[in-house]
Amino acid sequence: MGEPYPKVIAHDLTRAFGRGPRAVAALGPLDLTVAPGEFVCLVGPSGCGKSTLLRIAAGLLRPSNGTLEIRTAGPRPAAMIFQDYGIYDWKTVQANVRFGLDVQRVPRREADARAAGWLSRLGLADFAHAYPATLSGGMRQRVAIARALAVEPELLLMDEPFAALDAQLRTILQDELLELTQALRTTTLFITHSLEEAIVLGDRVLVMSARPGRIIAEHRPPFPRPRTGDVRATPEFSALKSELWDLLRKEAVPA
Amino acid sequence: MTTVAPETRGSVLVRRPGPRELRPVRTHRRRRTLELSLAAAVPALLVLLWQLAAARGWIDERVYPAPSTILVDGWDRAAAGDLWPDVWATTRRVLAGYAVGTAAGYLLGLLMGSLPLVRAALEPLLDALYVVPKLALLPVFLNMFGLGEGPQVALVAATVFFFVWISTMSAVMAVPDGHRDAGRVFGASPWQMFRHVLLPASLPAVLVGARIAAGVAVLVIVASEQIAASDGLGHLIFDSRALFQNDVMFVGIVCVAVLGVLFSELVRFAGRLLTPWAPRDRGRGQS
Repeated sequence: MGEPYPKVIAHDLTRAFGRGPRAVAALGPLDLTVAPGEFVCLVGPSGCGKSTLLRIAAGLLRPSNGTLEIRTAGPRPAAMIFQDYGIYDWKTVQANVRFGLDVQRVPRREADARAAGWLSRLGLADFAHAYPATLSGGMRQRVAIARALAVEPELLLMDEPFAALDAQLRTILQDELLELTQALRTTTLFITHSLEEAIVLGDRVLVMSARPGRIIAEHRPPFPRPRTGDVRATPEFSALKSELWDLLRKEAVPA
Repeated sequence: MTTVAPETRGSVLVRRPGPRELRPVRTHRRRRTLELSLAAAVPALLVLLWQLAAARGWIDERVYPAPSTILVDGWDRAAAGDLWPDVWATTRRVLAGYAVGTAAGYLLGLLMGSLPLVRAALEPLLDALYVVPKLALLPVFLNMFGLGEGPQVALVAATVFFFVWISTMSAVMAVPDGHRDAGRVFGASPWQMFRHVLLPASLPAVLVGARIAAGVAVLVIVASEQIAASDGLGHLIFDSRALFQNDVMFVGIVCVAVLGVLFSELVRFAGRLLTPWAPRDRGRGQS
């Protein structure tokens, strides 16, 4: 790496919803530093403000207090992958993947070539001209991943991208994502409910408290890169998972 | 939420609180004030322009009387009691027709939405009747009910019926299977299914239809009163035009507009009370 500056710095970040006496504090105060190329996983109970943090990073929402700085060259460094509803039913798979490039006015020929590259990389080449409604859930989420990566974002934001998938498919997509991100080294903020997912994917796992979400623990899964899904079977994996679960259970119970 | 414009400082993109976050109460109050003043200022400006045009003689005041003339005339007629019989006649017809049409449309929409056989039997017929302009049915209603209130009320009812029927039927058909299944597994009787599942699940969409129907009801009664009534606002409008009392004509038009707004707001208000769980017209920010 060698880059001295962090990619993302959040300082004293908070967000409340509503006004006056009915205001609800959703997030923070939260401080966070993410190094370039780092894959950071955030786990926490429902409603703890994980998504709020991601939406602030994406520029969809402003913080109530504090700042979040992204060190970047361009004005739109981030791409986001949503849990659902992210891809458009009225566009073919290829047009969906090309969407970000179309918005950035990349010439059609180049955009098609780049989209085709990502389609084959994610095993979607045969479905390029299909509509998303005809695809399975796993395929749809692959389309969403391809669409986000096609713009070559400096910062990848993933909001529980596999939450709607069944357990087997989740595992498969986790392994695929692991392989992809280890090759790309894109700085990533990844939100999940699944401890297993966080430990397999993350360079760092941050545990958040119940609302308003603050970071209460930080762990670095002790698995060197490049790693594969096989780490799930190791004793260190189970030990870390139960350690994190003990933390998380205390936060999740009152909710 | 709206998309926040990026603020670039050198090579660092900073997400920071905006005015809405830093001073939420003040920003909200300013926004509300702006919205309300726009809502009032735009019509006021247009009326002012009209007044100016009449005063300056840009338009023929005999054909388009000045707003002030209309206001004074309307006030005089209201004070003298000449206006109320017409307003009352129209209101009565709208309310009666609306009640009958809504009840019938809701009932049939419910039946057709939940029973495929009833739908198969009636849908083509009703679709065909739906496209017949209801005003063309007025002569039929005149033959059926004779002169008087009957044909007017029937016309409003027929118009309202179709709007409510269509929105009810599609709303009931759109109730997710999961909702029905949950009720069925608990052994809900048809009435319980209606009371606990179909009625509340379809109500928001039905109310949209009911609100549209409220506006159309006023629309159609005015048209039919012009053709076949001896009182009511529609009659007033056409009659005064025939007598070249254009100011009275405009008084009638303003009354119709006010009546229409009041009526559809009333339906909207009733709808809000009936569906406290449904999202408001304006979405709230998501967390």
